[in-house]
Amino acid sequence: MKIAAVETWVEAPLRRFVDDARARLALLLHPTGQVLAQAGFTREVDVMSACALASAVHATAGELGRQVEGRAFAGLHYAGPAKQMYLAPLETSRGSYICLTVFGDETSLGLIRIYFEELGRDLAAAALTAAPPASPPALAGGFEAELHRNLSALFRPPKRWEGR
Amino acid sequence: MSASLRPVLEALTRQRGVRASLIVSESDGLVIDSSLRFGQDGERVAALAASVYRKARLSAQAARLGAVTFLQLDAERGRICVAGGAGNDLVIVTVADPAANVGLIRMELFKALERLA
Repeated sequence: MKIAAVETWVEAPLRRFVDDARARLALLLHPTGQVLAQAGFTREVDVMSACALASAVHATAGELGRQVEGRAFAGLHYAGPAKQMYLAPLETSRGSYICLTVFGDETSLGLIRIYFEELGRDLAAAALTAAPPASPPALAGGFEAELHRNLSALFRPPKRWEGR
Repeated sequence: MSASLRPVLEALTRQRGVRASLIVSESDGLVIDSSLRFGQDGERVAALAASVYRKARLSAQAARLGAVTFLQLDAERGRICVAGGAGNDLVIVTVADPAANVGLIRMELFKALERLA
């Protein structure tokens, strides 16, 4: 599965997660909706809308959790007829992230949750040794420019061999 | 359901060498109820055992061998026994020492399975 990351330190943990958990799609993003890495998406527009929706759902579920039991829900699972979705936050020393995982019948929610825990540990370990971020998470004013920069990084065409 | 199944799980875990017994949803790999000895990671065992059982069931189905009623996985430091096919989505999983008596475990698993049907 093709994986693309804006920050390279997340690439190996995410690759391991999608391979082990047999996820069909995975999207790692900041809670603001900025994409950090993606696996399995083929179109820029899908990533953009998935990021926006995942961010909104996470914020909504978090607030609902705070109203229901005084704290945000740890994870959100939705089971459709053919595909399922798991959305949960991850904490690292570099900040909080959200991961949206889409999976099918070839795996199960139990397996996704197990490997998601491992993803959290792997990312936390990788964050400790990774280089400082090139730019801090964008504030509202620069959000759109930052989003386009990240999407361009994810979907940039592969470099061609120019030597003859 | 959980209260009525608790004695079933406890009877399984009382068998010599049994470290954990769990009722698991086969499709989700999630624990419905469990009786665990100290140090056992129930969620991990449940998800992995349900996944193995599901693959075995689908393989048997593809080979036209019928339903899988019992599955045994022997590993270096333990064995996992899974019983299913009670006509619902549930399977019963036990984790045991390598030297545990599989015959007794199997018998208790089938008794437990009757309660789940």
